[in-house]
Amino acid sequence: MIAPSKDHVSTYAEAPKPEAFDVRILRQDAPGESPKWERFRIPYEPNLNIISVLMKIAAMGKNAQGKPAPPVAWDSNCLEEVCGSCTMVINGRVRQACSALVDRLLEDRPTEIELRPMSKFPVLRDLVVDRGRMFRALERVKAWVPVDDYLDRGPGPREAQAKQETRYPLSECMTCGCCVEACPQYTKVELTREPGETDSQFEARRKQAFDTAFLGPAAISQAILFNDHATGQMQADERMEALTGPGGIQVCGNAQNCVAVCPKSIPLTTSIARAGRQATVYAIKKIFDR
Amino acid sequence: MADSSATPALPFLVRHEFLIRRLHSLSGLIPVGAFMCVHLLVNSSVLNSPETFQNNVYGIHALGKLLPIVEWVFIFIPLLFHMAVGIMIAAGGMPNTQAYPYGANIRYTLQRATGIIAAVFIMYHVFHMHGWFHFDGWLSMAESVGGHKFRPYNASSTAGAALQNPVILVLYAIGIIASVFHLANGLWTMGITWGVWTRPAAQKNALVVCSAFGVLLGIVGLSALAGMYNVGKGEAYQAAIEAENRMYEARVEAGSVQPNEHKRIEERGTRSEE
Ligand code: HEM
Ligand code: SF4
Ligand code: SF4
Ligand code: FES
Repeated sequence: MIAPSKDHVSTYAEAPKPEAFDVRILRQDAPGESPKWERFRIPYEPNLNIISVLMKIAAMGKNAQGKPAPPVAWDSNCLEEVCGSCTMVINGRVRQACSALVDRLLEDRPTEIELRPMSKFPVLRDLVVDRGRMFRALERVKAWVPVDDYLDRGPGPREAQAKQETRYPLSECMTCGCCVEACPQYTKVELTREPGETDSQFEARRKQAFDTAFLGPAAISQAILFNDHATGQMQADERMEALTGPGGIQVCGNAQNCVAVCPKSIPLTTSIARAGRQATVYAIKKIFDR
Repeated sequence: MADSSATPALPFLVRHEFLIRRLHSLSGLIPVGAFMCVHLLVNSSVLNSPETFQNNVYGIHALGKLLPIVEWVFIFIPLLFHMAVGIMIAAGGMPNTQAYPYGANIRYTLQRATGIIAAVFIMYHVFHMHGWFHFDGWLSMAESVGGHKFRPYNASSTAGAALQNPVILVLYAIGIIASVFHLANGLWTMGITWGVWTRPAAQKNALVVCSAFGVLLGIVGLSALAGMYNVGKGEAYQAAIEAENRMYEARVEAGSVQPNEHKRIEERGTRSEE
């Protein structure tokens, strides 16, 4: 999706352009505070995306009523839909802000765009959320190939081309959070710090809460990616331990929203079913292999 | 987890979540789902004749004193387990079909909704026909509030008569449709849960097969309901009672059935609500 498709541009190019459009944003000053809507009015320009709209809002410094408004906080990095940091809920659907084109959004809803932070993560400020639970999930399933030493262990096992081709799409995951945001089985875990709690105490408590909560489709798919890798396979049992532990594969209810919203079109439900199959075999093996 | 040495022991339900969810999944098909298929098929035998259905019921009741044990071990306990875990699962999810109105997501929500409907319906149905518990005092109480209508040795006539109230008939139709949807869709999700169909094309094909199964079982269930209803009124009702009584006396005479008035219509006969 490097260039907008020609026919799309032409149909919208013929439509009359608005002078300006509204952006309604669900804002929150800090973790735990109650959110409130604020409306901004943006003069129309062609080829805007949501990140450029947020930059305009920061430059304007005022809301639609003309009152001074602190700039809206957001996260972004790559600006080309590969880092996943700008994920938010745009017009009710979770997606990346950098690849959300204003012209297309106005085709669906001509006068207004609605922005909300993802609902499954603690909000840090405005549209910025803490996706720490997803990264913790990657640790839980050991989503890596452990090669952390200096010994020459010789060439690794041979990789078949076909296997590599099935793995490649899974490797495109950017831990953006779209899949878990849309997943009805993934529910928010938000802890607040207790008075007198140190950083490390709070962190330990947070990890403990994450470790029994649902891993989510992205981490399940990453576990399958590394179980498929000839070297990564050597840790397959450890990954299966996590996948069949609390918050594992069993929490999935097969709503298949994850695969429908993944911006990288990762075959998540195939990974989930394969994880289910591996879990079936692993669990039976564990019962009889005592 | 390797680094959980300092953490307190997890609650039972959390520690064994995987096993519980897999047993829940399994119990939905075996024995609960399998039982439902047999149940609907046996009931639909009334379409052939009330005698056919009556014979099937005698077959089931041939288990004699073992019947309650078989019922509890293979039907009620697995069903109650599946129901309890199912309600917990349904309470733990956050359906979002408004924002994400995709087919599989709608079925996800329907799976939970039909599970709850099935729970309410099955509890009612077992009370309405069976009375829940077989203690005399309890049963007369159940009868006074519209329960315990079914008598195994007057099977078609008592089942049919119990369905004459249109509200009850509609309730049964809703309950059957919900349960059949729940089983057919549950079969599809089971295939993913256990890893039978993994690829999108395989899942799509499986959906066609499961849908066809659901439609067929739905037809069986609803025609059984219609068949039962028709035997419960007018001349068919009288004929059914006569046939059932003839069959009972013949079986008692042949010694293949112990006389048991509890399993028959009371001699005072005419039920008050008709
Ligand atoms: C009585 C009340 C019932 C409730 C509350 C209930 C609830 C549920 C729920 C919430 C699920 C989804 C589980 C998941 O996606 O992880 C489910 C799955 C299932 N249920 Fe039920 N259910 C009930 C009765 C039944 C009955 C009567 C049958 C059989 C006819 C049945 C068969 C199934 C099957 C086959 C599954 C699929 C399991 C899987 O996806 O792995 N359920 N049930
Ligand atoms: S699987 Fe897709 S939706 Fe989920 S985090 Fe990865 S890239 Fe995002
Ligand atoms: S298939 Fe499983 S993981 Fe994916 S959205 Fe549905 S419940 Fe969540
Ligand atoms: S900024 Fe990297 S995905 Fe949007």
